Amino acid sequence: MSDQIMSQSLLDLKNISKVFKIGGGLGLISRRTIKAVDSVSFTIPSDKATITALVGESGSGKTTIARIILGFVEPTSGEVLYKNRRISDWLKKNRMGYLREVQPIFQDPYSVYNPFYKIERELEKIIKRFKLASSKAEKRELMLNALKDIGLRPGDLIGRYPHQLSGGERQRFMLARILLMKPRFIVADEPISMVDVSLRTTFLDYLASFKDKLDISCLYITHDLNVASYIADRIFVLCHGRVVEGGPTDAVIEDPLHPYTKLLVSSIAIPDPKRRWKEKTDLTSVESFEKLKAGEECIFSARCPYVKEICKQKAPPFLETKSGRRVACFLYF
Amino acid sequence: MACESESGMSVLEVQNLKVYFESVWGNYKVVDGVSFKTHKNEVFSIAGESGCGKSTLVDGILRLIKPPGHIHSGKVIFEGTNLLEIPEDEFRRIRWVKIAYVPQGAMNSLNPVLRVEEQITDAILDHSNMSKEESRELAISMLEKVSLPVEVARMYPHELSGGMKQRVIIATAIALNPILVIADEPTTALDVVVQKSILQLLGSLKENYGMTTIMISHDMAAHAQIADRIAIMYAGKVVEIGSIYDVFEQPLHPYTKGLISAIPSIGKKYVKSISGLAPGPLNWPKGCRFHPRCPSAMDICSEVEPTMKDVSSERHIACHLYE
Amino acid sequence: MSELLGSLKQRSSVFISLFKRSPALLVGVALFSLLLFLAIFEPIIDQYRLEGHKATELGYFVKFLPPSLKHPLGTDQFGRDVLGLHLIGLKFSLIIGVFAGGIATLISVCIAIIAGYRGGITDTILNGITNSILVIPSLPVLMVVAYYTRLNLIGMCLTLAAFSWPWSTRIIRSQVLTLKQRSYIELARVSGLNDFEIMFTEILPNLIPYIIIGFATSVTGAIFAETGLRILGIGPARVLSLGLLIQQALQYGLLTQKRYLEVTSLTLFLIIIFVSLNLINKGMDEVFNPKLKKVTGQ
Repeated sequence: MSDQIMSQSLLDLKNISKVFKIGGGLGLISRRTIKAVDSVSFTIPSDKATITALVGESGSGKTTIARIILGFVEPTSGEVLYKNRRISDWLKKNRMGYLREVQPIFQDPYSVYNPFYKIERELEKIIKRFKLASSKAEKRELMLNALKDIGLRPGDLIGRYPHQLSGGERQRFMLARILLMKPRFIVADEPISMVDVSLRTTFLDYLASFKDKLDISCLYITHDLNVASYIADRIFVLCHGRVVEGGPTDAVIEDPLHPYTKLLVSSIAIPDPKRRWKEKTDLTSVESFEKLKAGEECIFSARCPYVKEICKQKAPPFLETKSGRRVACFLYF
Repeated sequence: MACESESGMSVLEVQNLKVYFESVWGNYKVVDGVSFKTHKNEVFSIAGESGCGKSTLVDGILRLIKPPGHIHSGKVIFEGTNLLEIPEDEFRRIRWVKIAYVPQGAMNSLNPVLRVEEQITDAILDHSNMSKEESRELAISMLEKVSLPVEVARMYPHELSGGMKQRVIIATAIALNPILVIADEPTTALDVVVQKSILQLLGSLKENYGMTTIMISHDMAAHAQIADRIAIMYAGKVVEIGSIYDVFEQPLHPYTKGLISAIPSIGKKYVKSISGLAPGPLNWPKGCRFHPRCPSAMDICSEVEPTMKDVSSERHIACHLYE
Repeated sequence: MSELLGSLKQRSSVFISLFKRSPALLVGVALFSLLLFLAIFEPIIDQYRLEGHKATELGYFVKFLPPSLKHPLGTDQFGRDVLGLHLIGLKFSLIIGVFAGGIATLISVCIAIIAGYRGGITDTILNGITNSILVIPSLPVLMVVAYYTRLNLIGMCLTLAAFSWPWSTRIIRSQVLTLKQRSYIELARVSGLNDFEIMFTEILPNLIPYIIIGFATSVTGAIFAETGLRILGIGPARVLSLGLLIQQALQYGLLTQKRYLEVTSLTLFLIIIFVSLNLINKGMDEVFNPKLKKVTGQ
């Protein structure tokens, strides 16, 4: 399954880079720059709803990409198109139109609700702002239905303050909010990492049902390949701000091409004592002290067991192999 | 000195430990009667979700409970003595020298103004009679043992990654060759690749140094990878104990079954959450604490609390289905 | 707005639990409420006590009566009941304190929220203004203003407010900076709220503890400043605040006459006002500052 742009892609990232300056003096005297995102390009197709996983470790830039898509951060270079129109354009001229279609699910259910108000206010807010109901009765019905459809008992939640609810309930409430709004596209950043283990799959199943029944596509950001394999149709692997591999989830996980993906897959802890790790990790591939010069070489070259000379001189381009898989590695081109 | 650890008997035996917190709202029975034994040279896992009391359990064993929490009753037998009864300074000699502790988030508590080798030598000098030179040598050798390059010794914590910091913590913990190492959530906040290396390090302590390791974590996959035996905790109590293979292959307690089925994993097709919500320590459900969520609940389950019984040697379960 | 008030009504049980957590808060609020009560009902109290005569009426009672049941603090050189005068003084001092403090708090909250939330140039400019006012020596300026204009009660309040608003601004602003990072602000943004709505419906309610502390501090500051000015002889003559009473007492030479009671009692009233406000501050800090919270075992 390739990412050819058919009629129009839903979301199109074109060479997105984001550089953060760290230092004092009003940002004029910056001591260090961090390239959080480096020439990232991928698309989310619009013909069919999909769940795309963006997988990477901390520092890989995945959260920054999410924030760029949601409009919280502006990219230093490159452009992001939603339905063929720049996001910056959307936000300036039709912000409500954009927000109507693109919504987030945040990671931390403990800080995502204003503690001063009752939790249903979050639903009331969007009903009002996006004019989802024309009467009080309709509003009430919308809210009750959304809660019921997520498997929550309205009586248990309405009238309560966020601190009176558990983390699982709060995160489910986020889903109710999405259900009420029915956006076109969700950006979910590690939504289950702070939810109890025994409740995680319920959450994921709802995301899957949003895709199947409501045509809502999702960009699912996570570091956990187990979860990505459960929920995502396609997967993009990020390493130090660059996309190194992309393709259908099963293919990438069963047959990883990029050395970094291979490392990730071999490091997954499988919850089955019969499937234990066979080898010990080669520690040079875990982390190294070498400082990388931004942009000049392959970002994985310092840790790669297959590193060649060319890897230290040029950054490999993200290209498609003959079998339709996409990878940025000189092993294949 | 009683030779408990020699004859294959338990290195650490916890008997009916109860840790309660008193407050104006009532009594929080966070740990409410936990018993288990750990053997020599094994990795013993304590698994459970947030709120089950596992971290408080460790604090109780190590006498780190602060008021308004207190140890209500129970025994912690280590090398023949009940650790809860010996005087504080005697316990302090045991803590760190014989029982090492890697607390949750320890990597964030490294002293930012001390170099790595100073952190380790400080700990060594505090708990032994070595000279400065000896302690320094020991520190360097420990860094090697946890596979850290020797240049790390002169570095400051902020120059290290999370994984490296965790290794430094482990190096400090095993420096004095303890009999028992207790690690609380050693891999949270660490990336997948680093997690594997830390878990493998912990798992190797038994072969390389003859240490017993107790690992506490909510991550069942972590336990599956390195544990020998596992105890499952729910609502302040242990519900099942057994070898890691037995428990994963044939979970007996409905909660264990539910927990294992609820974890997504590569290649696993059938995943299902447990319905309902975990109860809180202020009012545990009457009878079996899992009964409100249990698909196999019987009448007796809402009335009588099940006690821990042996199903076979080394396999213990607290559930009315098996009585 | 209506939802805010609605939810406030249902929070009465919250107040009770607040008081449970901090005896200081309870005592402070109780004391201040008592003072407010006395100030508000002063005319009625004095009517009742003084046989229908106003406390300021000259010459009704015998001069310099010693303290007795009818006149707990005696009478002064003009035959006025001293306790009655105290109550009037309390009333005006509190009026000045509350109004000046209130206006100052209003200004400081608005500036702090806008500066903290908008950041950038707005923040820099507002910060500059705040810091500039802090630097201006308020006492000489107040003296000059008072000298050249005929200050009345309102004027006094406004002038005092103009100099005291920067103090709370910094504290509130830093709290705004912290709150700005919270996820619920981001959620509000993607829910379509504009900046103004976020500032005043999302951030403001979470600043209430700080606003109360700022208010209590401003009130204290205003009364303090006013009293100081009075002792120097500055201020509207018709506004019979505690400070003015002290000044009159000193001017009449009560201290040299060894009539300490009257001056001490006036100062005592002032001290009670300050203590009650400070207890409120301490209590708020105890309840809302997580580091000071007593462990409840959760």
